[in-house]
Amino acid sequence: MSKDIKISAKGVDVFYGDTHAIKNVNVDIEDKAVTAFIGPSGCGKSTFLRCINRMNDTIDICRVTGDILLENEDIYAKSVDPVQLRARVGMVFQKPNPFPKSIYDNVAYGPTIHGLAKNKSELDEIVEQSLRRAAIWDEVKDRLHQPGTGLSGGQQQRLCIGRAIATAPEVLLMDEPCSALDPIATAQVEELIDELRASYTVVIVTHSMQQAARVSQKTAFFHLGEVVEYGDTDKIFTNPEDSRTESYITGRIG
Amino acid sequence: MTDKEHIVSAFDRDLAAVQTLIMKMGGMVETAISDAARALELRDVELAEQVRKNDKQIDALEEQVASEVARIIATRSPTAGDLRTVLTVLKISGNLERMGDYAKNLGKRTSVLSEMPAINGSGGALRRMVQLVSLMLKDALDAYIQRDVALAEDVRRRDGDVDQMYNALFREFLTHMMEDPRNITACMHLHFIAKNVERMGDHVTSISEQVIYLVTGGLPEEDRDKQDKTSIDSALGKV
Ligand SMILES: Nc1ncnc2c1ncn2[C@@H]1O[C@H](COP(=O)(O)OP(=O)(O)OP(=O)(O)O)[C@@H](O)[C@H]1O
Ligand SMILES: [Mg+2]
Repeated sequence: MSKDIKISAKGVDVFYGDTHAIKNVNVDIEDKAVTAFIGPSGCGKSTFLRCINRMNDTIDICRVTGDILLENEDIYAKSVDPVQLRARVGMVFQKPNPFPKSIYDNVAYGPTIHGLAKNKSELDEIVEQSLRRAAIWDEVKDRLHQPGTGLSGGQQQRLCIGRAIATAPEVLLMDEPCSALDPIATAQVEELIDELRASYTVVIVTHSMQQAARVSQKTAFFHLGEVVEYGDTDKIFTNPEDSRTESYITGRIG
Repeated sequence: MTDKEHIVSAFDRDLAAVQTLIMKMGGMVETAISDAARALELRDVELAEQVRKNDKQIDALEEQVASEVARIIATRSPTAGDLRTVLTVLKISGNLERMGDYAKNLGKRTSVLSEMPAINGSGGALRRMVQLVSLMLKDALDAYIQRDVALAEDVRRRDGDVDQMYNALFREFLTHMMEDPRNITACMHLHFIAKNVERMGDHVTSISEQVIYLVTGGLPEEDRDKQDKTSIDSALGKV
């Protein structure tokens, strides 16, 4: 059974000034599935991820060419409002970046500006549910009005995950969401990702091969700005086609 | 598959060590089979006893392989070719252990048979069958070390010859038993020996299939010809 394609990248190149960071990438990302991006540091995973919700627009020297279609619509078309796009395509960053506001407001902000709650009690409900799913509710429920920046690194990351899912995005982009988390919080985030897959499209960048193997159905291996191999996660981790993929996932010198 | 080294060199050492255990096991099983065959042919009860005793070491090696594999999986989370290496090591050690058991059983029956009158002609045919299986085992282990798919395929094909030799022996033992009921006990033992050698062939075939899986990531597709027809073709029994 072949799944619907949610995001389609066609001939994407990205430049930072003279640096050619992404080279002719073509990938179709399945709907209601988890896709993992793996590859050595600096190979362009974060850069490509940021193309999917036009986060690279905020970097002056960054230039993106080629097409990225979200449900067959070109997200770089003039008619597309990047702010609206980012409500549909949420993101959790490599470094946690809570707003300098209360824990509650960090999560309530998105649903408020997008009018997702009719009243205060609905908003309270969204905040609680989002924080529960992000596996941090019990730790913050008694301090919701203290600043988000006062949390530990791992707690901040889970707060950012709660914030990202509060607007119920169709696509969730996660850039190393577990790098600052302990094994229990990591397992909880992985459980959340698995749960999100039923209704959303998730793309996760991870340096943990075991995490990629555990949470994703599709895996793309990036190397020096190119997608060297893209396919079913089971296949990539048991019998990859390309020797560069095999060297990387088995921990050999490439 | 790649033969590049791991960044963590201890991982290479772990994989090499467990494969060395397999080769050691393979060598011991080869010896057990040829000693058992020689003991049967020469009615050498002491040698047969030795084969039975040595089987304990083969069993111990299998356990050692299993615990090494468990440790590698737990500590190194192998993937891709590394994963296939540890999985095949585990399966092959199981195949070798069973082959060791059959050799041991051959030793036991040799002790019993040495008390009985010899059955004409069967010794040579059994010896040829054992030689065939021994050579298959040697080639399968070589194919494993060399990652040689063509050789592994060839070993698989040769299992058909073993099955045919078993069919021929089956008929021969039936004839002897019909000729003289006093042959029945010895022939029953000899038949079990032939059957066990035929099963050794099946285990060698399984080892060859593991070699193919290790290298290609897939198992061979078409089913081998089933040449042992004694179970499906009752007419074979009517001589
Ligand atoms: N803002 C930027 N300005 C200039 N160059 C950049 C910028 N961001 C990334 N790059 C360059 O683009 C390339 C790809 O970087 P990117 O951050 O996408 O890598 P990555 O695969 O996410 O690495 P990591 O695993 O370390 O996070 C690198 O060579 C990097 O130096
Ligand atoms: Mg990155």
